[in-house]
Amino acid sequence: MDIDEPQVNKPQRIENEGDSVELLRVFYQRLFPFKIYCYWLNYGIDVGKLFQNREFNFVNNNDAYIRYLSFDTIEEFKNEVLRVYPKKIDIGAVFSAKPKEKKSLKLSALKPVEKELLFDIDMNDYDEFRTCCSGAVICEKCWQLITVAIKILDAALREDFGFKHLLWVYSGRRGVHCWVCDERARNLSDDERKSIASYLGVIKGGAQKNKKVYLPKHHQLHPSLSRAFNIIEEYFEQVILRDQEVLKDEQEWSKVLDCIPDIDVRQRLNDNWRKNPCRHSIQKWDDLINALGNQKKGDIVKKEIMFQYLYPRLDEAVSTKMIHLLKSPFCVHPSTGQVCVPIIPEECENFNPMRVPTIYSLYNEIDDYNKNNVNKDRERNLHDVPKTIY
Amino acid sequence: MYSIDKSNKRSLSSYTYEVKRHQGKKSYPHVLNFYSISPTEEITIDEFESFAFDRMQVLKALEGAILRNKEEEEIKKHIENVSNTWLPLHSNESDKGYSLQEERRKDHISHFILRLVYSRTENLRAWFLKYECALFKLRFSRENKDEKLSFLKDENITWKNLSKAERESMANELRWSSNFDEETFFEIDFEKVPDLVARRAVYLKKGKAYVPMTDLLSLVMYEFRQRLSKALDLASKSFITSRNERIMPMLNEIIKQYDGRTQTSNYSVGDDPTSDSVHQLVEHFPLCMQHLYQNLRENLHLKHFARIQFNLFLKGIGLTVDEALAFWKKSFSNIDDAKFQKDYAYNIRHNYGAEGKRQDYKPLNCMSIITKQRPNSGQIHGCPFREFSQSNLRSKLVQMGVRNEEHIREILSLTEREHYQVACTKYFEITKGLLDDNDENIIETIEHPNEYLKASISLKKNRMKMNNKDDK
Repeated sequence: MDIDEPQVNKPQRIENEGDSVELLRVFYQRLFPFKIYCYWLNYGIDVGKLFQNREFNFVNNNDAYIRYLSFDTIEEFKNEVLRVYPKKIDIGAVFSAKPKEKKSLKLSALKPVEKELLFDIDMNDYDEFRTCCSGAVICEKCWQLITVAIKILDAALREDFGFKHLLWVYSGRRGVHCWVCDERARNLSDDERKSIASYLGVIKGGAQKNKKVYLPKHHQLHPSLSRAFNIIEEYFEQVILRDQEVLKDEQEWSKVLDCIPDIDVRQRLNDNWRKNPCRHSIQKWDDLINALGNQKKGDIVKKEIMFQYLYPRLDEAVSTKMIHLLKSPFCVHPSTGQVCVPIIPEECENFNPMRVPTIYSLYNEIDDYNKNNVNKDRERNLHDVPKTIY
Repeated sequence: MYSIDKSNKRSLSSYTYEVKRHQGKKSYPHVLNFYSISPTEEITIDEFESFAFDRMQVLKALEGAILRNKEEEEIKKHIENVSNTWLPLHSNESDKGYSLQEERRKDHISHFILRLVYSRTENLRAWFLKYECALFKLRFSRENKDEKLSFLKDENITWKNLSKAERESMANELRWSSNFDEETFFEIDFEKVPDLVARRAVYLKKGKAYVPMTDLLSLVMYEFRQRLSKALDLASKSFITSRNERIMPMLNEIIKQYDGRTQTSNYSVGDDPTSDSVHQLVEHFPLCMQHLYQNLRENLHLKHFARIQFNLFLKGIGLTVDEALAFWKKSFSNIDDAKFQKDYAYNIRHNYGAEGKRQDYKPLNCMSIITKQRPNSGQIHGCPFREFSQSNLRSKLVQMGVRNEEHIREILSLTEREHYQVACTKYFEITKGLLDDNDENIIETIEHPNEYLKASISLKKNRMKMNNKDDK
């Protein structure tokens, strides 16, 4: 198979409505992994309540939300997907009854009973200091922020909480989702989810607070945070100082200086950098470390700044509410056309969001393959998935 | 009121309780009680009512103190006083003058009566669970270590103790906060110590939490909460099956008498406000809503939680769902109609209970705004007195017209001590000029943004009346 970039024009956005329905049709008919997808959500081969009582939510081609869907069999699910060709599929909780029977059920008979523990990391939350791009745009530089977040969170979930079955998925535009699928995780109550989210939440505060991390002054770092710090230390210079250059000009460095409680230190550094604005971020960071001094107090401030820039920024609502809907893995992001592909956490550094296939590129790859191999009889029965290059 | 002869003695157990007797001479060896065994003795109707009433006083006082965000020490003292009046409960080591057994009997029985009363709906169960837990927590922390341990031993509550070898194998991690050499550690599933996990106050490894002896309270509270929560569910089920004509009206009465206060008040300001007239009320908005309003005007947009906070506030003012939709549509002037209908209209209607599960959401009070859904980076909702850094709050105050340096410092120092609502109240008094006006009473602590608005409006009306009188 051809490993090089295909010679087709790959638009990041789907051009018009007619195209998108046709592309989705091909995607669902020929590529969507119905079987493993359903086996996953069913946590076993014989279809049972875990699958049948699971809430799905489709967005159809008129942008209407179809809520409280559920399916008794894999076939039924497949048929409905192939009928609607949803632009987007969301997955909700497993309920105590079938969500599709909602209207005939008493409110109290339809209670969420289990759900994967979810985490959502979105580039949006890094916008306050991201210098390379902003908004929905991402590049390989800022993607490193997400990479570091994956490493820290993955380690904490495995080592602290003992979870083993973690499914990391590219969200299709500018972030990642993590589906923790261990039975123990699926059975957590909302309150227990809240305590985990709070345990993992270090960055606190909204747009009106510049300093968002406060570490304990009187004892050592919690073991979970000191493990995170080791990861942060490894990446800080490259990602924050070289790639993002967060100390480049005054607008940027003032955000860093706001994290230093000592006004004198802040003022001194600011004056110094104003005089020498061309010093590289790395040199300025050295100035900052020197100014903070090597006492414990200064060390804490340094760590607080490093945490603020590289510790994962989590969307709490996604993690704490069992009924929260989240975009399904393997579906297509409606505005980029990119497929929500899994990410292997051990190799997350090699993941490049710019190379994730779109339904457009997949369509063309199948098309090219069929054209090039039209005469080879033995290939006729080949499934469509191996015809693509991803 | 009831058709029961009051002198007639009735046994509670014949209605709902399983029959089990306290054996031996000392029925209540401990002041603490997990309430796992129901009382079976006979009590009079008078006792039934007064026990329920007395315990309710204590729980309500506790609710009030917690809602007012009081310091822990202050709550302790306050509840100690209230308890001594209504439901005294003395430790084993206290003076012999108290009839300890009698006090504990009342504590025991009153708990079970209220458990029955509060088992009927999910909201009532949640309320009872919350404040019974808070009460138990206060009482537990009051006891000395020996008493605590002997109580737990009698209740058969034990946890796995870490062996010496296990301790050594993770010595480095365990040492991070506590006094490692003196501590006994328990190994326990992390789900059982949610508060320690949430505060990152315990070492976790592969799903187990290693809890030092000093954090015993968290373990005990988990047990207490679990047991009571299960018991309440059970009670609610048996409540339905054992409807009893005699006891029902009494239970109804207890609820009615003491629960009237939790009804939500009406914050509507009258005159049927519209999407346009809202703008004239801005001067009466509390700082949180001023902040959201200004952001909305500047950016022609608000994010999800900010929208909920502001929309429910509008609902509280009295905007109908249609007026609210009109308000948002006009405010989001950059957003075309299709996108507005698709992305925003649903949520706005949802807040009004016109979509989804049709829950009629209440305007958020200060407690919810302060504690729930704290803003993340890029989000601007929440309580400004809590979420603003000191320097940002200072400039905001100046912008809003607080110019007196002493006033500013007073507000900043209140927020630093986490008295956000008191700070907001002070802000009200300063900006409305109440401090220099001796003939007007200083207002009560603000507990709801809509209450702030109402207070501000009626203050203005009163002053206008006064002025008119003066003119005449």
